[in-house]
Amino acid sequence: MTATLTAPAAAPPSPAGPRRKRRTLSPTLLAFVLVPLLVETLWVFWPALQGVYLSFTSWDGVSAATLVGFGNYAELFSDPTFGKAFLDTVLWLVLFGGLSAVGGLAMAMLLLKDRRGVGFYRAALFTPVVFSLVATALIWQAIYQPNGLVNTVLGAIGLDSWQHSWLSDANTALYAVIVPALWRQIGYIMVLYLAGLKGIDPTLYEAATVDGASKWQQFTKITLPQLSSVNSVVLSVIIIDSLRSFDVVWALTRGGPYHSSELLSTYMYSTAFQSLRLGYASALAVVIFVLAFGVILTYLVRAFRDADA
Amino acid sequence: MTTTGFSRRGFLAGLGAVGAATALGGCVTSTGSQAAGGSASGPVTLQSNLSAPSAKAAMQALVDSFNKKGGTQASLNTVASETFRTQLPTYLTSANPPDVLTWYAGSVARSYAGKNLLLDVSEVWNGLAGYSDALKQLSTDSGKQIFIPASYYFWGMFYRKSNFAKWGVTAPTTWAEFLQVCETIKSKGVTPIGLGADNSTPWVASGWFDYLNVRINGANYHRELLAGKHSFADPQVHKVFDQWKTALPYFDPKGTALSFQDATTNLLQGRTGMMLIGTFLLDTTPKEDVDDIDFFRFPIVDPNMPLVEEAPTDGFYASAHTQRKPQTLEFLKYLTTVEAQEAYLKSSAGSSLPANSTAKDSGTPLITKGKEMLNKAADLTQFFNRDSSDALQPTADAALIKFIQHPEQIDSILTDWQSAAKKVWTS
Repeated sequence: MTATLTAPAAAPPSPAGPRRKRRTLSPTLLAFVLVPLLVETLWVFWPALQGVYLSFTSWDGVSAATLVGFGNYAELFSDPTFGKAFLDTVLWLVLFGGLSAVGGLAMAMLLLKDRRGVGFYRAALFTPVVFSLVATALIWQAIYQPNGLVNTVLGAIGLDSWQHSWLSDANTALYAVIVPALWRQIGYIMVLYLAGLKGIDPTLYEAATVDGASKWQQFTKITLPQLSSVNSVVLSVIIIDSLRSFDVVWALTRGGPYHSSELLSTYMYSTAFQSLRLGYASALAVVIFVLAFGVILTYLVRAFRDADA
Repeated sequence: MTTTGFSRRGFLAGLGAVGAATALGGCVTSTGSQAAGGSASGPVTLQSNLSAPSAKAAMQALVDSFNKKGGTQASLNTVASETFRTQLPTYLTSANPPDVLTWYAGSVARSYAGKNLLLDVSEVWNGLAGYSDALKQLSTDSGKQIFIPASYYFWGMFYRKSNFAKWGVTAPTTWAEFLQVCETIKSKGVTPIGLGADNSTPWVASGWFDYLNVRINGANYHRELLAGKHSFADPQVHKVFDQWKTALPYFDPKGTALSFQDATTNLLQGRTGMMLIGTFLLDTTPKEDVDDIDFFRFPIVDPNMPLVEEAPTDGFYASAHTQRKPQTLEFLKYLTTVEAQEAYLKSSAGSSLPANSTAKDSGTPLITKGKEMLNKAADLTQFFNRDSSDALQPTADAALIKFIQHPEQIDSILTDWQSAAKKVWTS
């Protein structure tokens, strides 16, 4: 496959000498742009467009799809499970996104200075990112079991009344699932911020110290503004990851018990593959896409406007 | 980026690149991962969702014994059951499908047959000895057979004989006796009823609903309800839950937090007294404990109701698009033989009954007792999702788990269930 990717697409070299004339795009450069674009079109844009088309149909994956116009979208408004999943997703975005950004930045600040053993801690925090989330979820499932680690510890310190079936209680299931998701995400965000912090010119801090700025002032007046470009990356990553969060929830609770930990992504999956309502599931997918795209777009527009000002 | 004009040559080079990439794309899509199919001359492909080690080995033994006969060959392709379920529509609609697939009898098979996706296997049924009329009815859709039953199993209240002896209780037959037994077990400091319906296996709770519904309202009402001819908010359905409520105090409070595998462990280790489950619990039971396991029929609620039992039937159907029809039918014919079914049971845990009545089952007292129970039954149901559809199962899971946790909200639970079920029926 890769062998064919490098198919010679370049035209024979021009016999003309190095005359001064309008600069042309080099064929190699064009190939570099167009080939990935084409692969992307075939594998990403075209299926995505099909997904949008499917959201206007009723399709069970077996018979032919029938067009239903905006029927699926109208149904979303009267679907209590969708409402629940939507609110859960917003909650997830705020909690999972907010905590992983704050936690990641805190860890990065903590592990920025080269002390002895700091590499070990960085590696330890980054390790969960490497694990498959499904495997992670299995470990956490054991931890949350009625006789698992959490309840054993609670019993040991005399808090028996706090013992709980964490994953099967509608009031706690979603929060119980956020913890393993955070456990992984914080390491990831930390690495992004570490890279950003390393790029800040140390002379800025020296100047601030000379001017008598406190640590807090240095943080708010130098570190945060200098991190603005990393922040936009982190924000995009967090939003996309929040809306994509699926594997950890599915592995731990499948959106249950009775939809109490249902996110838009898990609801989309179960609608598509358990209820075989692929048209309705596509409508859910479009909603997820619009949410992610909308949030990121507004942020980018604002960022550019700030840059132009 | 600097502003540069397009040169004609650059543009052509770009076109060349586009051409190369399109050709490439063509290659990639044409070699896309198909479900196991093949040319009309290759072996018959059997797509199986039995991914548990013992069942997988048993399937392999079955295919091997068919291949030993010479002539037509078959090959086994085992897929994880969750993947299999989500991919099933793709398998069946593919132009180059797996020839034979494992699945179960009932309305799910019929709905695929209604869409002309299943091969008519009436030929295999012609002059088939050892198969009961009931099984033939179960495998028939609009006058033709579309399914080949291979084995079936039963559900019951399973318990450990030694523990019942220790607590001084005997197997009950009526609901009142059943509650009495629960009371006695509870007084010994043991949880009477295990469940095992956590988020990974919530369908276990449907066994309770099915049984109470057929005991109170009968099998016909049950089937009509699952087909959408009645409402889940009906007073008849309400009666089922009123009955269930009388037993709820004896349920394991962790019932919805444990998978059925963990609940089985609790039963074997004497932490719970009994459990409504299918014979597949024997597959995970250690050898030394199997002889101590016994079961009793789900208690009688209304003595005027004929006795109905759950007997889920597993087997095979073939894709209508198969390119190897004669070989496929030959393989299916082999699967109905005594030899094939005994070979399968020998390699598996032997917890099911062969569909061919002349084939020998494992012959343990428990299996023999179950077989007699089914033979005496007035009617047999399959199981919630098999009698309705896989799409309706999640609605039941949500409703039943919520009821077990919050029985006081039964009215709103049933109206919610009905509105969720309605979407499935009308979609």
